[in-house]
Amino acid sequence: MAQPVLSRRAALGMVGLAGLATAAGCGNSVGGGPSGGSGSSGGGAVKVGLVIPQDGVYTPLGVDLRNGWQLYLDQHEGKLGGYEVETVIADEGEGPDTGVPAIQGLITRDNVDLLVGIVNSASALGSVEAIAAAKKVLVIANAGAIAVTGQARNPYVWRASFTNAQAAFAMGEHLAGQQPEGGVYLMAPDYAAGQETFVAFKEAYVGGGGTIAGEALTPFGTTQDFQPFLSGIPGSGAGATFVFYSGGEAVDYVTQYAEFGLKDTVPLYGSGFLTEGSVLEAQGEAALGIQTALHYSTEIDNAANADFVAAYSDAHGVLPTCFAVQTWDSALVLDLALAEAADLSGDAISDALAGLGEISGSPRGPWVFDGQTPKQIEYLREVQQGDGVLINAVVDELGEYAQ
Amino acid sequence: MTGWLAENFVSILNGFAIGSLLFILAVGLSLVFGMLDVLNLGHGALYLIGAYVGYQFTGGVSSWTGFLTALAVAALFGLLAGLILSVATRPLVGRGHLDQALLTLGVALVVAEVISIMFGDDVQNVPAPPGLDDSVQVLGNAYPAYRLALIGVGAVLAIVVWLVIEKTSLGALIRASVSDREMVSCLGVDDRKVKAGVFAFGSMLAAVAGVLGGPVYGARTGLDETVLLLALVVVVIGGLGSVRGALIGALVIGQVESLGRALLPDFASFLLFGALALVLVVAPRGLFGSKVGAA
Repeated sequence: MAQPVLSRRAALGMVGLAGLATAAGCGNSVGGGPSGGSGSSGGGAVKVGLVIPQDGVYTPLGVDLRNGWQLYLDQHEGKLGGYEVETVIADEGEGPDTGVPAIQGLITRDNVDLLVGIVNSASALGSVEAIAAAKKVLVIANAGAIAVTGQARNPYVWRASFTNAQAAFAMGEHLAGQQPEGGVYLMAPDYAAGQETFVAFKEAYVGGGGTIAGEALTPFGTTQDFQPFLSGIPGSGAGATFVFYSGGEAVDYVTQYAEFGLKDTVPLYGSGFLTEGSVLEAQGEAALGIQTALHYSTEIDNAANADFVAAYSDAHGVLPTCFAVQTWDSALVLDLALAEAADLSGDAISDALAGLGEISGSPRGPWVFDGQTPKQIEYLREVQQGDGVLINAVVDELGEYAQ
Repeated sequence: MTGWLAENFVSILNGFAIGSLLFILAVGLSLVFGMLDVLNLGHGALYLIGAYVGYQFTGGVSSWTGFLTALAVAALFGLLAGLILSVATRPLVGRGHLDQALLTLGVALVVAEVISIMFGDDVQNVPAPPGLDDSVQVLGNAYPAYRLALIGVGAVLAIVVWLVIEKTSLGALIRASVSDREMVSCLGVDDRKVKAGVFAFGSMLAAVAGVLGGPVYGARTGLDETVLLLALVVVVIGGLGSVRGALIGALVIGQVESLGRALLPDFASFLLFGALALVLVVAPRGLFGSKVGAA
């Protein structure tokens, strides 16, 4: 069994890693035993568990995440770092009650080599222990809770998406520079992501000399009508509103913000998820002029993004979203890391990820892992009428932000 | 006082708009439960069908033809669905509410899944018809014209339903069935026809409410459960089988959800069930519940 493994690794080495070929081959034959069977089963194959929501409120995100992952594989002959990729998809569902078992199933039953995915932060936090015990690498393709790579950090959990604080902090600094007359009114759903957004925005905005005109946390998942909360804005004298909403709540919020006549009097700002992907289509004209901060836009001007947008649009008939980019980038970093890693053990892949340095070739522009989470450019985007569809035009770059 | 009123005027107005929509939705549930003794958990799914019919026929474009066609199609669909549900629940009469709940909940789950497969899981916007898709100034506050119209539609429907139930012989028959089913049967009235009629009518209103609610709540998965919960609360607060109760219950919940949330934003999540608990403590049968209703 060991012989063919060795020869394939050597062949692989000749393709890309001539200098490291011998070392890589040795590393594998030595490390293959303790890593537990799965790695040695194919030699030139890697089994990836893709954990994405296929049911519940996050289903549209799950579709984008799967498309992004598949697109990268299709563009690279189904290989990452020279390994044939076998993708096993598991349903994350809405929360940790389904997300954590999905991850455990992939580890124990499907015996995957590494995991990609996770939309819900609670699911990410809930599975950190299982990941650490199994010593398998998890590349998070969405979940933005700071704790995932903060307090609860462990060497096997990496993130290729964003933290909730990044966009809020960037927008806080931007608005502090603008100093809207009367201050800023804050609104977000009353759960972890909304609260983290509040904290980060205030830190940047109040720290930059801004004043908060008022704030409201709305009940998450049960608020369809925002009027009772919107009614506080005109009386507060706020000169701008900053919000964090996504999915269905983003559609309701933006259309009602326009219906109740606030759009023309108090400009609306947000974290980019407010106008990202399919919600923008549902919002329609009500979204025009909204400015948001995010780590991606289809309108970013670089060659990698132009290729990515064209390929994605051809394959799926719609413009890509930041979510699709996040799995595409997860595949990109794994492609780079697996080419460098001595074997498929969690330790080897983690070491390789840590040694990647600046990641070029991403549609979102260059970024680096900083504390296992991206340090990346936040873009100031404005919703404009594009060629038949609404787009998030890039107005400015707000600078690089980490954790 | 005038200052307070001016400040919260929009919220109060909005409470009436939401209340109107809730009345149209809940009156059917109340009559079906009160009169047929059938707990129809598929009521929310009927609303969902209406919402997606609205989306399908307007196609995301503001138009009167699309909107009125959607209303007609939804009404027809609701009538048919009501008849089918009435037939389907008939064998379960006398077997308790749990069996009915299981059946209708099962139907609701199937409907929701089919809609999810047909239309996807993205949130869809249903635009208000032309002329109502803009905001109007009400006492210096911008307010969506469509919601004002909704208050009017709700008021008209409330009056019509009240007149039919309270002032016509058909209404007398319905009220008689609510208070004493066996007696009505003994008088030689085929109460199955009355039941099927009420079920069809109530279901039609639920589907129509789905179209009417489109420009407010949109069309999305999960909406069926949200509105079913609101309708159940309205029915419990108003009392079973009572049109007046459904109206008052809907208006109360409309204000709780709108004015209440505006005044006490920190307690927004608790207000709905707080109001429910309060009513249950003070008047366990609901504000207008009949003493012989199906408890």
